[in-house]
Amino acid sequence: MKHKILLVDDDVDLINLYQPVLQNAGFQVDVAFNAEEGLKKFQEFKPEAMLVDLAMEHFDSGFVLCQKVKNTQEGRNIPVIIMTAAGHETGIRFSTQTEEEKNWIKADDYLDKPISAQDLLQYVTEKLFKNK
Amino acid sequence: MKIENAKILVVDDELGMREGIKRLLEIEGHHVDTAETGAKGMQMGSVFEYDLYLLDLKIGDYDGTQVLQKIKSIYPESICVIVTAYASIDTAVETTQLGAYHYISKPFSPDELYHLVNRALERRWYILEARRLREEQERRLLEVAHEKSRIRTIINAIDDGILVINQDKQVVLWNPRFLKLLEIDRKVAVGDSVYQLLPEKLYEQFDRVFDQQPQLKAIKQEIVIHPPAKLVIMVNTTPVINSSGELLGVVSVFRDISELKQLDLLKSQFINMAAHELKAPLSAIKGYIELLIDATLGNTLDQYSHQLDRSRERIDALVNLINDLLNISRIEAGTVRRDIEPIDMSELLQNTLDFFRNDIEKRGLQLEQQIAADLILDADREEIQRVLTNLISNAIKYNKESGAISVNAERNNGYIRIQVSDTGIGLKPEERDHLFEEFFRAKNPLTRNITGTGLGLTILKKIVDSYAGRIEVESEFEAGSTFTVFLPASDTN
Repeated sequence: MKHKILLVDDDVDLINLYQPVLQNAGFQVDVAFNAEEGLKKFQEFKPEAMLVDLAMEHFDSGFVLCQKVKNTQEGRNIPVIIMTAAGHETGIRFSTQTEEEKNWIKADDYLDKPISAQDLLQYVTEKLFKNK
Repeated sequence: MKIENAKILVVDDELGMREGIKRLLEIEGHHVDTAETGAKGMQMGSVFEYDLYLLDLKIGDYDGTQVLQKIKSIYPESICVIVTAYASIDTAVETTQLGAYHYISKPFSPDELYHLVNRALERRWYILEARRLREEQERRLLEVAHEKSRIRTIINAIDDGILVINQDKQVVLWNPRFLKLLEIDRKVAVGDSVYQLLPEKLYEQFDRVFDQQPQLKAIKQEIVIHPPAKLVIMVNTTPVINSSGELLGVVSVFRDISELKQLDLLKSQFINMAAHELKAPLSAIKGYIELLIDATLGNTLDQYSHQLDRSRERIDALVNLINDLLNISRIEAGTVRRDIEPIDMSELLQNTLDFFRNDIEKRGLQLEQQIAADLILDADREEIQRVLTNLISNAIKYNKESGAISVNAERNNGYIRIQVSDTGIGLKPEERDHLFEEFFRAKNPLTRNITGTGLGLTILKKIVDSYAGRIEVESEFEAGSTFTVFLPASDTN
């Protein structure tokens, strides 16, 4: 049984980059191009993990999607990873080091953009699905 | 000092006396008028104020005191000398109580007359001088009052709030703008304590100016007064020092910098957004390159070629974005060099459509056009070309395969009206509201593969606005959009 990953990003090229690489590595990948579509796909596709871009329709679309997913019964324990370049743009660095931060942000981890497809694959296999 | 070349009126019924006095005084350089009756004397003496009146006490049937009283009533400061016969000397003395300056009794010698006239004219000089000084003083007082009200007017007209306080920290002077900025509703009186009047943050600043040693420095500080209203005020407090170096009080100038702060914020938001938009294509291009380099991912030649195509598209988009950013900055800085000339809009629009003919055919779009002739506009050709290019390329880009484009241009109430409709993806109402915002792009599955900078319509609107034109948008999601641009037609049309 292939692990299911939902990839949410508004940049079609990044989807084009990440999706085949993850698929070639044996994952089942569905994609969404904005937060609204992301939530729908989450309900239909029932992923085991979500990789979500932060700034899509709005600058915080990724957070909003993450909150919505985490507030559902099925989504509570699904790892949601936020991908963002906001740290470089605003000088604000997100972190999920402490329980408080994790509780407030709700996301399980952050990936600093830009991320190469190779690095993303490495992250997914070695961290996200290490024990699965 | 005395009056030289005085104007003198002699009123006497005796011809010999009249002419004798006139001759004597004219020798001295004076100008002498004469009247032979009391009535004529009164009439002549009232027309203007003579320097000296010589009045006979008995002018035929007339009483000289009547003439005296009449003249004194009109010119209270006039100098009247009574000429009298020795017999009526008592009456002459009485006349001094009625305002006569002096009297001279007939007969008199020329020297006696000169002596009296000289004294009288000396007196007259002092009266005139006193009058001049008095008038000058009145004028100055008036000027001072004027000056005060002028300073008041100037202070009241200043758009910054101004407050002056004395060394006891009591308010001395302020303008309406100050009250408005700090939202002080209550009546303020000279002598009110600043501690009662002002928010704590502000009188702390006064305290700092008063407490510093030496008390010479001005203090400048940004203060947020009402956090909910987000009023940011720059307060500049300067000590007022007298010549011995004592602190008399302070002058504070309050400037509302909320708008500047807001602009500052907008600027950083713009930079953040621009950075984000600039980085997005770079991330994609970098990703593709990494895929090409990393052979382990085992892409086919087809995939490589697609990735290179996409990379090139993203690079083109990036270059467009940078050009658009530069354009926006030029338009906003007002450094765009414009060559305003009459432009034949009909021709320019036709040329633009011809330019896009290939793209229109490639997508199988039906083009309908109705362009009136002789639509003349005074504008910069390049800018108007940009507006038309943007409208038409959008209508192609956001259209559906085998859809239609309709282009209309005509005169409309002093405007040239250009309407471009498409049968494309359309806009949701909330998307339409943000359409002209910088970097706004409708993000839905239909726009996913369409590249754009998110600045095209921003630039279009800035150009149209700069010609005092306007743009209207009608749109239905998934059905199509109509953009209508109005630009003022040339007067020469």
